[in-house]
This record gives sequence, C-alpha cells and structure tokens, in this order.
Amino acid sequence: MSAIQLTDIVKSYAHGPQVLHGVSMDIRDGEFAVIVGPSGCGKSTLLRLIAGLEQVSGGDITIGGQRANDMAPQDRDIAMIFQNYALYPHMTVRQNIAFGLELRRVPRAVRTARAEEVAAMLRLTPYLDRKPGALSGGQRQRVAMGRAMARDTTTFLMDEPLSNLDNALRTEMRTEIKELHGKLKATIVYVTHDQTEALSLADRVAVMKDGHLQQFDTPEAIYDRPANRFVAGFLGQPAMNFALARDLPGLRAPGDSIAGLRPEALSLHGTAPGGPALRARVTLSEMTGSGVILHCDTDAGRMTAVTPRHALPPDPGALWLGFDPARVHLFDAATGTRRPAPAAQPHTANLSA
Amino acid sequence: MTRDRMLTLGALAAGLLFLSPVLYSIWMSFQTANAYYTGTLDFTLRNYAVSIGDYGFARYLMNSIIVSGLVTIAGLAMATMAAFAFARWTFRGGNLLFAAVVATLMIPSHITLIPNYLTLARVGLLDTYAGLILPAISNGFAAFFLRQYIRGIPRALDEAAYMDGATPLQVLWRVIVPVARPAILSMGLFIFISEWNNYIWPLVAVSDQDLYTLQIGLARLYKLNPGEGSIDWPLVMAASTLTILPVLLGFLLVERHLVRGITMGAVK
Ligand SMILES: Nc1ncnc2c1ncn2[C@@H]1O[C@H](COP(=O)(O)OP(=O)(O)O)[C@@H](O)[C@H]1O
Ligand SMILES: [Mg+2]
Repeated sequence: MSAIQLTDIVKSYAHGPQVLHGVSMDIRDGEFAVIVGPSGCGKSTLLRLIAGLEQVSGGDITIGGQRANDMAPQDRDIAMIFQNYALYPHMTVRQNIAFGLELRRVPRAVRTARAEEVAAMLRLTPYLDRKPGALSGGQRQRVAMGRAMARDTTTFLMDEPLSNLDNALRTEMRTEIKELHGKLKATIVYVTHDQTEALSLADRVAVMKDGHLQQFDTPEAIYDRPANRFVAGFLGQPAMNFALARDLPGLRAPGDSIAGLRPEALSLHGTAPGGPALRARVTLSEMTGSGVILHCDTDAGRMTAVTPRHALPPDPGALWLGFDPARVHLFDAATGTRRPAPAAQPHTANLSA
Repeated sequence: MTRDRMLTLGALAAGLLFLSPVLYSIWMSFQTANAYYTGTLDFTLRNYAVSIGDYGFARYLMNSIIVSGLVTIAGLAMATMAAFAFARWTFRGGNLLFAAVVATLMIPSHITLIPNYLTLARVGLLDTYAGLILPAISNGFAAFFLRQYIRGIPRALDEAAYMDGATPLQVLWRVIVPVARPAILSMGLFIFISEWNNYIWPLVAVSDQDLYTLQIGLARLYKLNPGEGSIDWPLVMAASTLTILPVLLGFLLVERHLVRGITMGAVK
C-alpha cells in the first residue's frame, strides 16, 4: 500500500514567500501521477515535501495510510530520482545501485545480484565497474533510475528526470519509464514542466500554477475539459486559441465569456462552409513534418490551425476556419474558470461572411 | 638550448638550492665531531647510535608519532563532524557558534598557553600523553576549512543518501568524507606537521623525560654539553635527520592521494 494523500499542504521557506497555498491531492496506490506547471510554480517543493526533504508549514501528508509529516526521509521508504541525478561520484555504478540495499543490511551476495539484475534491465551491464564521471548523460540517468529500482519499494518520486537529455533519448526513456511503471506496479509521482511528457505518461495529471493546484484529472479530462483558462492554454501543442466569445459566429454564450478553440478543432475551407466559420488570412505557416501549423489573422484575432500537408487550401490568402460550436470551451473572462459548454444557436447561417 | 631545457635546468637549480641545507645536515650527520672540527672527511654511524642509545631518541620518536598521530586523527574527526554540522544544518545559535570558531583563528596560541597550562595542572594531566594531545584536538582552522569544502559538495548527494535510507552519520561517513577526501587528507597532513613541529607546548606541559617529543629532545642536545664549550654538531644533525625523516616519508605516502584527489575534483 503506497497511496499518498496531501491535505491542504502549505509551505513557506524561512525568509521567503509562501510557495504552496493549500494543495490537496489524493494519489492512489499504483498510480502514475504527473505534476506539471511552469518553472517556479512549486512542483519540486511539493515533491520534496512528500520525500521528507522539506517540512510542511501546514497541512498533512499521509503515505500508505500513515501520517508522515514528522517522518525522516530515510523512514519513508520512498525512492527518488533527482533532476541532476545526484550519483555518488566515488562509487562505481554497481555500488551506486546497491547502496540503498547496503544501508538496509541486505547481504552482499543478494544486493550484488539485485544490482546486476537491475543493470541488465537498464542495459548498464557493461558499465557496472565505472564511476559516474566516466558515463554519458543518458547512462547517468539510467544509473539514477537503477538506484531507485534496486530498492525494494513501491513509491517513486521523480523530479524532471529527463530534462537533461537530448530529444531522442528523452522520448526513448519516456517509453521505458512508462513500461517500468507497468512492470513494477509502483506509485509514481513525476514532476515535469513539459506538457507532452505529462500527457503521455500520466494516469492523472496535476496542473499547478503559482503554488495552487489547478486541476488533477486524467489526461483526457484535462485536455477535453480544462478547469480553467490557464490549464486550457498550458496543455496542448500548439496551444489553444482564445477569443472573445461574442466575436465567434454561431455561438450562444454569456457576453463576457472567453472562448477557447483547439487548433485541431478548426477545419480549413477554401470557400465558406455550411456551419459557423471565421474568415482567415495565413500570416505564417510552419512545417512539422506530417503536417503544417498555420498562423492566421481572423476577425476574432489571431488563430492557429493545423492541417495535414495534402489538405492545404490552394489560396492561403483567403480561407475559412470552420468549427463545431459544441467543441468550443468557454471561460469566465474575469476569473478564467470553465463555464458549461455553449449551445449552438439554432437556425443561424454563417453570419460573418 | 631550448626554452624547455632552460626551464628544467632552472627548476633543478632551485630545487637543489632548497634541498642543500637538508642534504648538508644529512651529510654532516655521518661525520665524527673530530673530523667536523678539523675539516677532514670521515664516515660513521656512531651519531645515530648515540642519539638513539644514549639520548633516548627512539623514545622521543615514538612519543612524537603517538602525539602527532593521535592529534591528527582526533583533530580531523572533530573538525570533520563540526564542519558537516556547520555546512549542512541550521540550528539555533549556529551562526554565533561558527563565528566563535572563526574567532579562535585570530587568537595567537601563546595567549592560551598559560590558561591551558593552569587548566591541565588543575585536572592533573600535566606530564601525561593526554596533556600533550587534548589541547591540540580542537582546531578552528580545520573546522573552518572543511566546512567551506563541504559547502561546495552538492546537497543533492546528501539528499540522495537520505532517500537511500542513510542516517546523518552514514551520510557523513559514506558520502561526505569520501567526496571530501582530498581536503581531509591535505588538512591531516597540515595538522600532523604542525603538531610534529610543536615545541612550546610539550616544553611546558611535560617535564618527565619519558614523555619528551623529538623537538624537546633535540633542544636538549644543545643544553646537555654546555661545559665542553662546543656543541657536537654532527650528533645534533643526526638527531635532526631522525626528526625530519618520518615526516618526509609520510608526505611521500600521502602526496600521491593529494594529487589524485585534486585532479578528480577538477574534472567532475
Ligand atoms: N530552499 C528555498 N528557499 C527559499 N525559496 C525557495 C527554496 N526552494 C525553492 N524556493 C522558491 O520556491 C518557489 C518554487 O520552487 P520550486 O518548487 O523549485 O519550483 P519548480 O520545481 O516548480 O520550478 C520558487 O519561487 C523558488 O524560488
Ligand atoms: Mg523544479
């Protein structure tokens, strides 16, 4: 059992401002939870509180049903992977991986076998006798993973473990971490500022901003029903388009609403389509490989649309961006909170022609 | 002549210049007193036999090794633990305490001589090994130096060890000490040599000849033959050679580790 419950967690550092303002999360046993948010929003702080490396200023942490506020890190039975790996420079890879077992008085033969088994899983066998200084970035990262995996624990904390890797390696390690989660059936709390990583890894994503938890839900729910304008804009690549709801045709919404439209929810037309649409002029197009990102000027402001390359309209100077009003997100202009989905106005033709 | 060769020759000359008094005294230690004063050449091991046999230098050597060795080990242990605490923990009064440690660096040792003497006299530790060793164990400079070094070690290493299940003492012993090894070894060498050369404290703290250290024994060699009007310099030089030899050997042993430690830190 390694569920983690955070209740109204408050944290302020000595001689510093308050960093966390009452964060509550209920991380289930065996869940892969990803905490995502812009740099400085308090993700690492939250993770370090769970680890016991920092003390909460208020609220409660429960790990596996046990109140953990005053437990020392070494008593929490949690493995952590640090952003810069923090490998012991004077120990070989084998010793690094086995250190946690050694501290727990596991017999030498057992811990060596375990270290070698883990190293094999991570393709580190040829490097067992090297010291961290003689490894590449990717290898160091895997040693850091190995050190956590060798421990006989089911709770892992990872603080941006892939952020120091190049793109190809990052994608590869992402897959491996996901597979690992399936194999170990472990509870993982994973911190990242990369929304792609968050959506692809998580069972549930926690979006944070300025020390406040914005939303904690499945990637699908976060993506399809963002709780507020910040969450809507933070997740998704390219980012969601925002416009005043009253500037969008065919939409019935309170006057002070902000409408959000995902780029992939916009359809491209050479001539005015049957449903609601915006007249647009392409100002910039970006090739992404399989598709193209089009930056357009419309009557409702700048919009981004995506399209496969073969579906590019012939005249980028004049085209139409069609949308389904049911796929428009509405947010309160003042507070940014989500409003109920808009209804399409009945019997309206395309008005802005 | 190439530039490189000139540099090499220059370095060699400078080295010989520094080495010459040492070499001269070693050479002199193999002369008889007679040959020395008449300016003739001779070779004898008698001076070593006499200093060890008649003047108790074997005993002094052992005392010096015991005292300097224990001062080094105990001093390093104290300084390392203090440095770890000062570098890694914030506690009430910690800054004040550290300021006090730094302040001790500014007190000349001669000022503490008499208070230390009176204290040890009162607890009856004069004329004991403990009396020679205890006052030298607390070493503000070592604590200060090692604290600065430990502060340069990423705290994430400590944290990783705590997550791996280490207690604070295990973090110190299994992570901090090995990583700080070059600094600790350098400090150890420094403490050992300072203590080895310490003259004034053993002089006041000990009157029992069985507890003399090499430096005291060496000084006594002058005083022992005042009536003869002349000092037996070859004998003094033999005793001096006995005094510097262990330090030289010790340095050669540790030096390899120092250099390796320094380069290891550079590439990390
Ligand atoms: N030890 C500390 N002392 C004071 N302020 C800190 C400390 N650690 C972090 N902070 C502050 O707390 C805020 C959140 O930091 P952090 O949790 O590291 O953010 P994130 O990991 O999301 O980038 C930042 O404004 C940072 O400056
Ligand atoms: Mg961080």
